[in-house]
Amino acid sequence: MAERSFPLPDLGEGLIEATILEWLVEPGQWVERNTPLVEVETTKSAVELPSPIAGTVKTTHGEDGDTINVGDTLITFEVADEEAGIVGTVPQEKKKERRVRLSKK
Amino acid sequence: MTEQLSTQKAINTALREILADDAKSLVFGEDVGKLGGVFRVTDGLQTEFGAHRVIDTPLAESGILGMAAGLAMAGHRPIPEVQFDGFAYPAMNQIISQIARTNYRSRGATPMQMVLRIPSYGGIRAPELHGESIEATLAHVPGLKVVSPSNPHQAYHLLRRAHEMPDPVMFMEPKSRYWNRGDVDFENPGDLEGSLVAREGEDLTIIAWGAMVARSLEVAELAAEDDVSIEVVDARWLKPLDEDGLVASVAKTGRAVIVHEAPRTAGLGAEIGQLLTERLWGKLEAPVERVTGYDVPTPAGDLEDEYIPSIDRILFGVQRSLEY
Repeated sequence: MAERSFPLPDLGEGLIEATILEWLVEPGQWVERNTPLVEVETTKSAVELPSPIAGTVKTTHGEDGDTINVGDTLITFEVADEEAGIVGTVPQEKKKERRVRLSKK
Repeated sequence: MTEQLSTQKAINTALREILADDAKSLVFGEDVGKLGGVFRVTDGLQTEFGAHRVIDTPLAESGILGMAAGLAMAGHRPIPEVQFDGFAYPAMNQIISQIARTNYRSRGATPMQMVLRIPSYGGIRAPELHGESIEATLAHVPGLKVVSPSNPHQAYHLLRRAHEMPDPVMFMEPKSRYWNRGDVDFENPGDLEGSLVAREGEDLTIIAWGAMVARSLEVAELAAEDDVSIEVVDARWLKPLDEDGLVASVAKTGRAVIVHEAPRTAGLGAEIGQLLTERLWGKLEAPVERVTGYDVPTPAGDLEDEYIPSIDRILFGVQRSLEY
């Protein structure tokens, strides 16, 4: 298995840090893409950060109440070796679904 | 020997063998060395062959392809990578003005033997300029060959074949299929020229390439439930197009639906449709249908399911042809 880490993103308007209000996921948990990971507070507002990938959470960096800088590692996921470092998301195999039926004339 | 591999591993295996067999070959691009590629396609190659043959370049595609042009002129056989389809745009001057025409310009004295690997098309929820379908842009340039494999077996063998060709080959890898596994028969490549009938059928031909082949095969399976027999042709080589192969299938079924992710206007669907009309005028049972992306910039991840031809959109195209 490989690891994939994500930093605290730039939350806009020149903010350089944010305070962790509450982690919404814990190590070992599987999360889907866009699942809220953590609630953070900046000097402007409190926001929930969505997960950039689907994967298993390995480490959450920082405790509730800690202030971390933009660019510092926020969360680390465990991913399969062949998925390490990718840009985007590995497509999930879906069941073939259809609404359109065919009929010959 | 047959082995079940993902497409990324099949391409990795082909690159490893090419580097081992051909001292003139070089692999280079952004993150291809130490990281092993953002899709792990070049994983382990730098460790095995050294940083002088598997080279991490700066983030400058014009430089990557300029370097490829110079190496090819000097008799090397480079295999550069642009990390994503949309990153080929900054390199277009090198590709079109130098790489594609140096053989012609030198009256055959300076062939530009190289394979440009381009992870292509959408389907992985990536940002803007990471999901482009640029095959028509490349196919329009005299001097280039364009090929797009659809599964691990094709990816392995077509890459090895492309490396042997005397012309610059644009190798468009369907990135949404990198993780799909399939049997690679190393000793028996099958015919590597032209198109390939991926599934036989009687009522209608779907022509597709890259990631749209797998989706078209799903459509053919669903159509069988409705007692409609669809032949799926994997076009594979997009320049030159396998005119005879494509025509032969549609001559048999009388109906054609062309599926591609690229925008519709001036896409290869138009080229193939015109080919079929020219060669099969009077024999077609219905106008050639196209199911394509839209004439908009390829959208970022959250909208790509609306853009890329879906099973239902392809089925609608099939139905339009059937009821004409």
